[in-house]
Amino acid sequence: MGLDRRSFISLVAGGVVGSLATPVVWKTLDDVSIWSQNWPWIPRLKYGEETLLPSLCKLGTDAYGVQVKLVAGHPVAAYGNPEHPLSRGGICPLGAASVQLLYSPSRVRSPKKRVGNSFEDISWEEAEALLAEQLKSAGKDVALVSGDDTGTAAEVLAGLVAALGSQQAYFMPSEGAAAAAALKLLGGDGLVGYDLEGADYVLLLGADALGAWGTTLRNAKAFADGRERAVRVVYVGPAMTATAAVADAWIPCTPGTEGVVAMGLANMILERRSPSKVAGLAEFRKQAAGFTPDAVATRSGVAAETLLGLAKELLAAGKPLVVPGTTAAQGLAVSDAAAALAVNVLLDRINMPGGVMVLPWGPKVVAAAPDKKAMMGRDVVGYLAAVAAGNAPAPKVLLVHAANPAYALPDLKTAQTALDKAGFVVSFSSFMDETAAQADLILPDSLTYERYDDAYTPYGSGQANYTMAAPILKQPLFATKAAADVALGVASKLGADLGFASFEDVLKAKAEALGLDFEAAATGSVWLGTEFAVQQLDLAKVQAPASAATAADLTLVPVANLKIGSPKVATPPFGTNAISPRELQGKDMVVAMNAATASKLGVRAGDAVTLSGAGGECRARVRIFEGVVDGAVMAPLGLGHTAWDAFSRGKGANVFQILGTQADVAGFTRFATAPVGVRKA
Amino acid sequence: MQHMEFKVKWGMVIDLDKCTGCGACSIACRAENNIPPMQDASNKLRTTDWMNIYELSNGKKFPDLEIAYLPRPCMQCGKPSCSTVCPVVATTKDEEGGIVSQVYPRCIGCRYCMAACPYHARYFNWFDPIWPEGMEKTLTPYVSARPRGVVEKCTFCHHRFNAAKEQARMSGADPLDLPEDAYIPACAEVCPTGAIVFGNLKNPEHRVAKLAASKYAFRLLARLGTDPQVYYYSKRDWVRQLGDNYLQKELKGGEHV
Ligand code: SF4
Repeated sequence: MGLDRRSFISLVAGGVVGSLATPVVWKTLDDVSIWSQNWPWIPRLKYGEETLLPSLCKLGTDAYGVQVKLVAGHPVAAYGNPEHPLSRGGICPLGAASVQLLYSPSRVRSPKKRVGNSFEDISWEEAEALLAEQLKSAGKDVALVSGDDTGTAAEVLAGLVAALGSQQAYFMPSEGAAAAAALKLLGGDGLVGYDLEGADYVLLLGADALGAWGTTLRNAKAFADGRERAVRVVYVGPAMTATAAVADAWIPCTPGTEGVVAMGLANMILERRSPSKVAGLAEFRKQAAGFTPDAVATRSGVAAETLLGLAKELLAAGKPLVVPGTTAAQGLAVSDAAAALAVNVLLDRINMPGGVMVLPWGPKVVAAAPDKKAMMGRDVVGYLAAVAAGNAPAPKVLLVHAANPAYALPDLKTAQTALDKAGFVVSFSSFMDETAAQADLILPDSLTYERYDDAYTPYGSGQANYTMAAPILKQPLFATKAAADVALGVASKLGADLGFASFEDVLKAKAEALGLDFEAAATGSVWLGTEFAVQQLDLAKVQAPASAATAADLTLVPVANLKIGSPKVATPPFGTNAISPRELQGKDMVVAMNAATASKLGVRAGDAVTLSGAGGECRARVRIFEGVVDGAVMAPLGLGHTAWDAFSRGKGANVFQILGTQADVAGFTRFATAPVGVRKA
Repeated sequence: MQHMEFKVKWGMVIDLDKCTGCGACSIACRAENNIPPMQDASNKLRTTDWMNIYELSNGKKFPDLEIAYLPRPCMQCGKPSCSTVCPVVATTKDEEGGIVSQVYPRCIGCRYCMAACPYHARYFNWFDPIWPEGMEKTLTPYVSARPRGVVEKCTFCHHRFNAAKEQARMSGADPLDLPEDAYIPACAEVCPTGAIVFGNLKNPEHRVAKLAASKYAFRLLARLGTDPQVYYYSKRDWVRQLGDNYLQKELKGGEHV
């Protein structure tokens, strides 16, 4: 049978048409794409019963309730806890990444001791014996730096140090400590809180309340609710922060002059209203009189009429609230906090609905431990500076708990010198952070989801509160132990019994002291305090705030950013994507300044520059951003890690390296802003 | 363009006057939908973020500058440009609820949809997903891991929609008449300021429907006619004006310059 060209073509064409009409081609394509996606190295999903368990997120400077989703007993995601007063369903960027952080490559998976320039894995038995031996030979020369100023774990560790005869127990710097010191300066006593929910006008003097300051998530909920009630929120500060972006108004001021603005407001308020029953008013009036509108305008850059507008708004509001703070969420000057407190006193806002709330210190259950009040009254920056300078003896053993002082302290070089001088550094870090990397012994703490944890009244809370978290995992994922349990163990080995066999027992005692049922607390019920201690404040004791770094032409404004990390943790694996090119470009930190400042400095957008400050230099790239006052350079905190893992290491620079300090009243150090130099790299 | 009308239209209204750009939504989305972590995420042309956050500015000089943050999920367009160009029907908009689906095993990676999407809401997997050792144990059971060669995008946490419908059926309720909080994507659930409101745009009782009807509501590139189911909200004129990319001094209508 012959096949001519014509019939051949119609056969082929018919075949083509037929193959398009039949589903075989499409089915095959579908199958190919399914099977070509079916590789053994693509992880399979695990299914199982789903549960939600309450826990705590303490990765930032805040502490709030979360809910962890478990599938077949394994945690897969963290959400906010709608039942928790400090979360109300919201979550912060660190909390959102917290479950995956359990498996962070930088987790320290077993105890380690230093051998020369590297570490050797050791057993817990050996590690605890080594700790006991070191503590024994150190005698009283022991010190503690803890970053956990809400948890009872720090109380246990401080108890250990005190039982060994040392008074050297410190918290890392916090705004809560500065605010409490300001309250004490005025003769008050307690933790300082703010009833943001009750206020009808909120003036934030520097506090980046929706960024990383105070009870960030609760602030966010209060802000959102306030918007519905037309509560006006005004932000005064040197840069367009997260808070400034959504506030009803942003009033730019020269960095570090928020206290000066507060005194100016006090002066204007006193000219218009003379409060009765305020102690020390005459003396205060004299102090405030120096802060004339013109003087304040010269120093802070806030025009006299703007200041007057603010004073009038405060006077007209029914429940105004003035909140001091910083963009760094630490390093607040006590004098600035005191000035803001004075304005609240003049407006009769202490322990009033929508005002400044003075909250009780909370019960102590480890008898040997120093009072939290005493511990918060000590300045770790000053202590380490004294050690570095040889003005205070270097501890033979330094315990570091829930803190990373080798990374997250101002005047970092000095802090590092002090760490080097310490005889034997013990890090309880869960991660290979900068401090752990240079420690002599690492006793890895379990993370909150793997152990008991608790939080008493994080700074800013409007009401005293206590949250406990029971472990949501039956066992820690790796060979880690709760630091408090290690401390209890070593204490009894050294014959300095702290009175408890386990951290769980300590928390039982804490729950009892608060009148709370332990089981209920461990399953998520939150204790709320309703006591507000009566205060006798004396305004005569306010010390007029100086501007920070008045002589500087150029000032560094570090901004804390939970997307990037916190003083405790570096960027978690799940956090890298959220960091924007406005903060990090390639391996360069991005710093922002306005066009006028840039042209004065002779730099342009995208230029590589060298920043120089008290402790040294670092590299950055310039971004021109009009949301920064003249003469200020805004820089993100939390970059430039040298330890940790590939998700955070070697990205950008650590601003703490160039952040200088300034002596402040009441033995504290201010460092929320500092002089800086900028030149082309 | 493919166009179907639905009785239920899931939608979002994002209040740009409340968004602080904190990034929690984007990270919660990553965890919920098993998007692997990235060591180097500084080049945003190479990253995968179903919920991406942009910064807008009024372009003024200090001290008159204002900024706003704009989180951008998939708009779940009423008239999607992406599904119409898909040669293998891997992405469609044909399910009650109006969510644009994405069937990974069907995707052949041609990326026509990416070119078609005016919102850059779609992402291509150049590499197989990798989790650091052990972290794969935190994968949720909701969304399979996508291999190299596949396009992905926000699905309004479609698994949560399925779960809510299932729940409704079990309790004898109407799965097509879900109450406001029965179904809500992870981003909206965790947003600290509650800037992301979610619900049925067709149910006048739902907050989204009310907000979307406000004179302060707008949609991105509205004049393209994609009919997005994601609305934005701002009382600031300049923010609303940025919703459509008008050229400066542009001519009216389809005139050419
Ligand atoms: S936003 Fe893009 S991906 Fe989403 S439906 Fe519209 S066109 Fe498709």
